[in-house]
Amino acid sequence: MAQEWPTLLGDNARSGGQAPQPWRAPGRARWQINVEGAVRGSPVLDSDLLYVPSLAGFLNAINIRSGRLQWRYKAPAAIPSTPSISSGRVLFGCSDGKVIAIDAFTGSKSWETTAEDEVWTSPVVRNNTVFFGSADGAMYAVQLETGTLKWKETLGGRIYSTAHVAEQHVYFGCGDGNIYALDALTGHLVWKTATGNGIDCSPALAHDTLLIGSQDFFFYALDVDSGAIRWKYETELGITSAPAISGDLVIFGCKAGTLHALDIRTGKVIWKTQTGQPITAPPVVSGSVIWLQAEITFALNVPDGKVIWRAGMGNSLHSAPVVTNQAVYLAGMEGAVYALE
Amino acid sequence: MDRRAFVKRSCLGGVALFVDHWGTSPAYSQDLIPPAPPIHVNELEGRSVSPLRMPGLYPGRVVEISDQRSIVANRVSQSIVRQMIELGMRELTGEKDPRVAWSKFIQPQDTVGIKINPSGAPACCSSPEIVREIIAGVRSAGVPARNIFVYDRYAYEVDIASYQALMPIGVRVTGVQEHKLDVAGYDPNVFCEANFFGEWETRSYMARIVSSGLSKIINVPTMKDHSAAGVTGCLKNLGYGTFNNVDRSHRRPFSFTDPLIGIMCSVEPLRSKAVLHIMDGTRMVWHGGPLTQNREFIFPAGLIMMGTDPVAMDTIELEKIEAKRSKEGVPSVWSRDPSSLTNDGDEFFQDASKNLFYRQPHHIAAAGKLGLGISDRKQIEVQAFRIA
Repeated sequence: MAQEWPTLLGDNARSGGQAPQPWRAPGRARWQINVEGAVRGSPVLDSDLLYVPSLAGFLNAINIRSGRLQWRYKAPAAIPSTPSISSGRVLFGCSDGKVIAIDAFTGSKSWETTAEDEVWTSPVVRNNTVFFGSADGAMYAVQLETGTLKWKETLGGRIYSTAHVAEQHVYFGCGDGNIYALDALTGHLVWKTATGNGIDCSPALAHDTLLIGSQDFFFYALDVDSGAIRWKYETELGITSAPAISGDLVIFGCKAGTLHALDIRTGKVIWKTQTGQPITAPPVVSGSVIWLQAEITFALNVPDGKVIWRAGMGNSLHSAPVVTNQAVYLAGMEGAVYALE
Repeated sequence: MDRRAFVKRSCLGGVALFVDHWGTSPAYSQDLIPPAPPIHVNELEGRSVSPLRMPGLYPGRVVEISDQRSIVANRVSQSIVRQMIELGMRELTGEKDPRVAWSKFIQPQDTVGIKINPSGAPACCSSPEIVREIIAGVRSAGVPARNIFVYDRYAYEVDIASYQALMPIGVRVTGVQEHKLDVAGYDPNVFCEANFFGEWETRSYMARIVSSGLSKIINVPTMKDHSAAGVTGCLKNLGYGTFNNVDRSHRRPFSFTDPLIGIMCSVEPLRSKAVLHIMDGTRMVWHGGPLTQNREFIFPAGLIMMGTDPVAMDTIELEKIEAKRSKEGVPSVWSRDPSSLTNDGDEFFQDASKNLFYRQPHHIAAAGKLGLGISDRKQIEVQAFRIA
């Protein structure tokens, strides 16, 4: 059965990409493989290949049926970014500022483009355009086919927030504390909204509400057209964890170790669960289950936030799992990749 | 004691030092704690020492700035710490112009490392707000952003605190190692070697960024109790934050952080490059350090201390943490009561009367005896300023 998980959190809506399905606790590891170097970004999946980036500079393509490395591509620098897959290409950012597109099946390079500083964000593809932010303070838009620059918009801080790209606008947070909306065709500023500290959280969009956390300890819900703050919600510490959407709920972690579920319309707390570990990775919603890596790996109930499964594997700070009907794929900081079933 | 009285040199590949632990810490003779083994130090040959090397331009001087507005609702105020650091730099150097004050330590051609302390992140680590002000100061001395490195040994701890996103554009933010077993970022030619507990790897190597990458280091420790060392301040942030494989110096309940911390700080070129120390005391961890996330033990002290003498600064830090612990009615960090020990990490993180080791605050005085600064409280001049 074909399986796809082409971007961070499965799709551009950060929905986890899965239809509701019955919960089954993983019973065993189908396979485990160690890749060279630490893994900071999240894996992505296309058909039978799981793509795992590493800080040793390898993009590893692992066959999910055998658990064996099919090929690996050596980039000139560490790959901290979560790859994305589009039109038969795998795109990812490097710590030397390069964004590279490689053929998803052969691992040969299609093109590369270069920012002036590291790229930790995940490239986002929409309308044949690749959008990515860099630590050089700029948001870039390049052509999907060639990597040719369409536009570049320089802002006031470093960008570690993966953009949410809608039909007309590009939304993201910035190290200068602002949430930005840019015109997707030109890069021109549409609106910006200030928070009290820098932002490295990636936004999600639910209908007409943009949702994002800040290092000022607040989680924000903004009117997507104007940037006006609809509500904000205070947590105990900063928020790096990108939110996941499940129906009317937005779910995110904060660095104090609490996973929060809020009503998107009102900001009202539906539940909170303390994991005991700082949370910086995004939660992944799959049907009625939330998967979360916060040093150890948790599965929680969406309706009430109760922990229904946990395991000491993954040892990850930022990586989010890939969840399919057949297996859950996890990558950990020390380079271990697991397929749980 | 003069450094020469207890340091012996050998010629085994480069310069080597053998440090007689008993000479560094006579207090050990009163403890039921085994003496530390000899520690072999291998430094690079032919390195010149800097006139700014520790204890630096102002031995025995500590400038202490307090402002309760610097931390409100657990958030550090950028504008208030800006005022505090500016005042501190002026008072430390005697210069009216902060730019001239920074230029006493930093020149435009320098490659400057800002040694943060992210262990304990996210609850207590070097505040990004303070680091940003230090970067502004270094830039005012003419150093381009690309030549400023915010660094620590552990990349994953740097990640947790989000320093990457929070620093100005152009500044490089880096961790020496990506995970616990990563050794690629260390210099095989500069090390401290000792066998404390029969461990397999007996060497601790200096981070390459320190041995060959940077020309100056500004040390930004936090103000914390430490379960093994007594406190962690300038010395521990610098020594154990520069060499790898340091956890091996303590095995419950014993700790050889004295003398290892001081010895590591005395190794060139670290000693020459660390020219300024700015201690973040906006938060004070008075129990559970260095890693606690328990906010019950994290006090909003609203302090910043500045100086060039890490021994004098840590002596004052120790005094403050002892005072706070006394006020809270918990044992001194000097306690040698076996009944206060526990092997249960959870108990340690919840109960301030419990500890994992016999703490070794002696390490500060031992570093003083190595020539790194002044630990005699009577000889330390504290210039204290309370803004609000």
